Parts: sequence; structure tokens; C-alpha cells
Amino acid sequence: MRSSWIHRRDRRGVWFVAPFLLGFVLFMLVPLGYAVYTSLYTYRIIGGTSFTGASNYTATLENGLFWNGVIRVIIFAAIQIPVMLVIAFFFACVFDLGVAKYGTFFRTVFFIPFAVPAVVGAVMWSFLLEPQFGPFTRLASALGFGNTNFFGPNLILPSIIVIVIWEWTGYNMMILYTALKSVPRDVIEAAILDDTPLWKIIVRIKLPLVRPAVVMLIFLNTIGALQLFTEPQILEYFQQGAISVNYTPSYYIYQTAIAADETNLAAAMAVILAVIIVLISALSLIARRRRGEFA
Amino acid sequence: MNTDRTRTRRRRRTRLAVGGFAAMAAITGLAACSSGSSSSSSSTSPTTSAPATSGTASASAAASASPSSSVTVEAGASCASSSAVKITFWAWVPGLGRAVNEFNATHPGICVTQEDVGAGDPEYVAITNALKAGSGAPDVAEVEYDELPSFEITKSVDNLVPYGANNYKNDFVPWAWQEVSQGSAVYAIPGDAGPMAFYYNSALLAKYNISPPTTWAQFATDAATLHKDDPSAYMTNFAATDLQWIMSLMAQDNAWPFTYTGGSNVTIDWTGAAQMAFAQYWQNMLSAHELNSTTDVSATSFADMDKGIDASWLSSAWGPSYFLPDAKSSLGDWRATALPQWTAGADVAANWGGSSYPVFAQSQHPAQAAEFAEWLNATTASWNITKTAPSLLFPTYVPLLNDPSYKDLNNALSGTSDPNVAFTSAASHISSDEWPPFMTEALNEASTVFAGVQNGKETLQAAFTSFQNVLVSYAKAQGFTVNT
Repeated sequence: MRSSWIHRRDRRGVWFVAPFLLGFVLFMLVPLGYAVYTSLYTYRIIGGTSFTGASNYTATLENGLFWNGVIRVIIFAAIQIPVMLVIAFFFACVFDLGVAKYGTFFRTVFFIPFAVPAVVGAVMWSFLLEPQFGPFTRLASALGFGNTNFFGPNLILPSIIVIVIWEWTGYNMMILYTALKSVPRDVIEAAILDDTPLWKIIVRIKLPLVRPAVVMLIFLNTIGALQLFTEPQILEYFQQGAISVNYTPSYYIYQTAIAADETNLAAAMAVILAVIIVLISALSLIARRRRGEFA
Repeated sequence: MNTDRTRTRRRRRTRLAVGGFAAMAAITGLAACSSGSSSSSSSTSPTTSAPATSGTASASAAASASPSSSVTVEAGASCASSSAVKITFWAWVPGLGRAVNEFNATHPGICVTQEDVGAGDPEYVAITNALKAGSGAPDVAEVEYDELPSFEITKSVDNLVPYGANNYKNDFVPWAWQEVSQGSAVYAIPGDAGPMAFYYNSALLAKYNISPPTTWAQFATDAATLHKDDPSAYMTNFAATDLQWIMSLMAQDNAWPFTYTGGSNVTIDWTGAAQMAFAQYWQNMLSAHELNSTTDVSATSFADMDKGIDASWLSSAWGPSYFLPDAKSSLGDWRATALPQWTAGADVAANWGGSSYPVFAQSQHPAQAAEFAEWLNATTASWNITKTAPSLLFPTYVPLLNDPSYKDLNNALSGTSDPNVAFTSAASHISSDEWPPFMTEALNEASTVFAGVQNGKETLQAAFTSFQNVLVSYAKAQGFTVNT
């Protein structure tokens, strides 16, 4: 009697996870396996496809262009993530304190960029920064900076950073806001009774208490930065040559697979990028486990 | 609103240039493949809108987009219910659907459906994917001359000689026929072309007392004079990242960097004496800041031309139709004459752009597909449609090139002068180019390699040298025997 009940419960469990499992197998595991399989072969215009073992991997490891792209996204992450988190934390605190009027309305406004597809956001910003007619270009000129080219070699990375910060600050703010909301009221009340200045409450009490959320966001954003693709891809449409073929690892993989038609090499690059991301994710888990977030 | 130039005969023209509509059209294709956004969560949603289509005089059936892709049916939508032999045709030239409808009306046994899957690269990627998959390629497609060898080497296109292609050989300028031929085989029917000319603002040159230079030596002298007279003006713009444009000028200088006639041997020579001399000629003017240095066929370059910053454009025959919508103050001032010559008194022209129409080996009806490709490009009935707006194709078809009324065709840029006289004359002084079978890769790398020349951080000679290295290592990795 009892065992058949357990049996039935198990079956129902399978049905609950089935939709996820189906998608996970079809769209994650199978393509992943196929990428690894593909990366072991090489197609040549002359000679066709042949098994080449690890040669695509050694070619990638020795390819300076690939690692240039990796270094570029790391620089990107090192600037973009701290700036964005500071802004996000600042506004999360403002909303958490309840000092802003119409808080709910503005929280929604801040969150809207996240709801805008990255492609649309990048196109919109490209129009704003466009060297010929863009309003920001004209503003820079009116402020006496001369002819500023936001897509030029020196400003293209800062431009991308601005776009990505705009897209993702609201999302990060919402997570931090939610974390701040769960800070126990009595702790804050005790601090207020002790006449602790506001900045101390925020920096010394609230920030340490939401640290797990901050750590999680740092890793999520780092993983996202390593996959940077959409914004550079769109900007290249606005100024040809602004984005080199190896600008980011994902963009280089795309160019290698599509433009150069070296799908096997691109598969090996993708696997290596995936390994880098898995390593970072593992670090994140270790860091959070050490903090005792979960067993 | 003019959306013609979002559909171009040249692949890089899909880049946002004018007004941004190109980019808007392009993102419809991008949204599908850009799932990895700046963060790991999915933030792109599929766009289903059709790219801006030529909503012009095209008599095409409803330009409706299928819900899951950015394919636009331009003509022959009703073929599905027809009992005729069905031919699928991919092309992006605006208004070409008018010719397809005319073909369908006059050829009851064949029904051609034209789809637009994107200009240049997106179309080639779609074809390459279909070829790999073993099905799904079109019967006929628009393929630029430089891209055709990439499909020849993979045996993806049919030899059209068994389908009577050679009957049309004498209808085309010899160089165009040669670009679609390999040995005795003919792999496509030539379509439009882009003979080049010195396209100049006559009022501006007159202002500086410069007459159109007939030699490149004179051109360099004039460039220095003009810029000295007015430091805000330039003789012309040098579009360092436009590889096809640079290669056209190299062809005119007898400095073509490739030798390829099919098979596994290819010569790549960007660093030979002729190539380096070409690079040095232009670099001297670039170093002296006597040339403008911006992306060509763009809003910026057209504005510079219209405002009198650029006095000329080393343009192709299709150039004026791209410039026209952006021209205001310089309307009526533009003239065309032969390109300057490297040897005084010579008459060497060059070609920039243009497409051919191959039949793909996957086709179940190659005879009918070839019949369509032949009709589209080798009949006056078809050219009478495609030479007009919005298509405005420049012919490789000799009867039209020799037609006096075609030479008289004009637009508001040139007042009462006839720029087509220079362009049609150039069409018969061009030598065939040997494109290597990896131009997609070359074009892609070029935008990175030559970017430094455009922003003045690198010389053209240095860019040629690194481009040589990039191409040689790519060709070797692809199994070619490379001569340098």
C-alpha cells in the first residue's frame, strides 16, 4: 500500500521535471555534446572533413586574437560591474529608505531597460551616440569637446560599458532592493536609537548583510560579461571597423563560424569559453559555500 | 522614404549607413542569432517584423514575412497553388520582383517565387547552411561576382552550358562573362555591374581651378593644391575599410593581389612591388592629410560630398543612385568622366560590385532555373524593367549598354549632363578579376585589418602586409597550395 503510494508520487515528480529536463537535454546537453564532437574534426575547402583530434584546441590556445578578446571582456567586466553595482546599490538604498516619492513608480522606470531586448537597447544607444547626428555627439561638441567619435578606437569600449550599465542597472537594483528589504528591522532600529549616522547604517550594517546578494551579482555579471556579444555586434553595423573580429570571445566565435566558415574551430573556441565560465561559476559556488550560504 | 539602399548589390552596404534604416532592417535578422546577450539570462525576444521592403512600384504580391524568420516574399507568392514547375529565387535588389512577375506571366510552364533573405552575407550564410544540410537552397540566387568562386569550388552551382548558356555569351561584356566562367564551364549568368568613373562636383573643382585629372600623378597634385587652398576640403575620400573598393582601384593599377583559376592553387600577393607602390601612392596623400578618411557609401560620406568637403568620389555606376537621396545643395553639379590613368593616354577602367545568377546543384529543375536566369539577365524585356527605379541596375548586357537612350538616362545630380556616357564607356574597358574562393573571410578580416588606416594609426603598406599574413595562413589552413 505504502510502497505503491511512493511509486505514484515518484512518477508525478518525473512529470513535473520533464518539461525542464526535455529542454535541458535538447537545447543544452545535445548541442554541448555536438559541439565537443564537431570540435574534434576539421573541414577544409580543399580536402573536406577529417578527424584532427585536439588540433582545434591547440590552435585556439595558441591564438593570440582569442585571448585578446578574453582580456578585453575581463577589462570590460572590471570596470562595468563595480560601477553598475555602486549605482544599483545607491538607488536600492534610496528606495529602501522610502525617502523618494512615488517609489514604486520609479522602481518600475528603473527596471524598464531590463525589459527592453538588448538588440533594441543597443540600436537605440547607437542612434544616441552616432558620430554624425547623435545627440550626445552634438552635446559633446556644444560643451567644447570638439568632434567626439563615441565609436572611435578610444571610446568604443566606454560606449559599450555605458550601454550595458544602462541595460542592467535596474535588474541589479531590484535584487539588491529585495535583499535590503529582508534586512531585519530591529537591527536598523537599534542602530538608529544609538544615533548611528545614516551612511554608517548603510555601509557598515546594510551592506554586510546583503553581501551574499552582492557576491552572487558579481559572479552573474562576470559570466554575462564573458559572453558579451549583442552590443558590439550592433555597433559594428553603425560604424564598420569599430569592432574587430576578435572583439569579444563570443563575437570571435560567431565570426569564425559564420564568416570564416570554420565551424569546427569555432566549436573548440566555444568549448574553451564554456570551460572558463564553468570555472568561474565553480569559484562562485565555493566562495558562497565558505560564507555558509548553503551546505 | 527611400529604402532602396538598404538593399544593395554590395554586401557591406547592409552596414548602417544612411538614416539607420539599414540597421533596423538588419536587426530583424540579428535578433534570431544573438541569444547570448550581455548577461546570461535571455533578454532578446524574436522579432517578427519584415525588413523594410521596397514598398515601391513593385507589382509584387504581398510582401509578407513568415512569422519565424526575416524572409520576405517579393514575387510569385501564388506559385504554391500553381501546377507549373516551381522555382525558388533569392535576391535582394529592390523592385526585382517586377521582372519575376513578368517572367511568370510570359512563361506559363514555370512559376518563380522570389524571396529576399537579406543582402549579401545573410543570403550567403543561408545558402551555405542549406548546402550543408543537403536541402533548402534556392534554385537560383543573386550572388556577387567575388562570391561565386566560393560556390564553384564546393561544386554547389551547376554548369549552365548544357542549358544553353553559351548562346548568350556574346550578349555580355567579355570581362563579366569571364567572371562567371571557369575553363569551358559557365557557372552563372552575369547580371549588373559597377564600372567606375571619376565622379566629381564640377562647381567645386572650377572654384579651385582644377580640371578633372586624367592621370593619377595629376590627381595627387590636385589633391595637394585643393587641400592647401581650403584646409577643410578634400579632393576625395579614401575608404580604407572598403576592401572591394580598394581592390577595384588595385585592378585598375594592374596590382590585383590574387591569381586563381579554380582548384587548390591560389596566389596571394598583397606585398609585391605593384601592390606596395599602390599603397604608397595613397599613403603619401593620407599622411599629408590631403584625403578625407571616412566610411564610404555612408551618411557621413554623402554629407561630405553634398557640403563640398569632398570634391569627388571614385564611384561605381550605381553610386549616384545611392547618393541622390542625400544630395541637396550640390544637386546639378555632379559630372562623371573616366578614372585618372596610371599611364597618360591609356584607357583602363575598373569594376566595383555587381551580381551574377547561378543555379544551385540542389535544384530539382535546373533546366527551368537556367531558363529563368537567362531570361532575367539576357533579354531586353527584363532589362527594361530592372534598369528603372527602384532597381536601377547597371547592365553587363551589351544591347542595353549600346542603347543611346540608356546613355542619356540621367538624374537630378547631374543637371543636363550624361554621367552614363562615362560609366558605359568604362564598362567595355575593364579586365576580369580573379577572385579567390574565400572572399567572405577576406572581407570580414579586412574591416579589422584596415581600421587602423582609417583612423590614421597604421599605414596602408602595413595593413597590406598584415592582410597578406592573415590570408596566407587562412588559405593554408583551408588546404590550399599558396603561392606568394
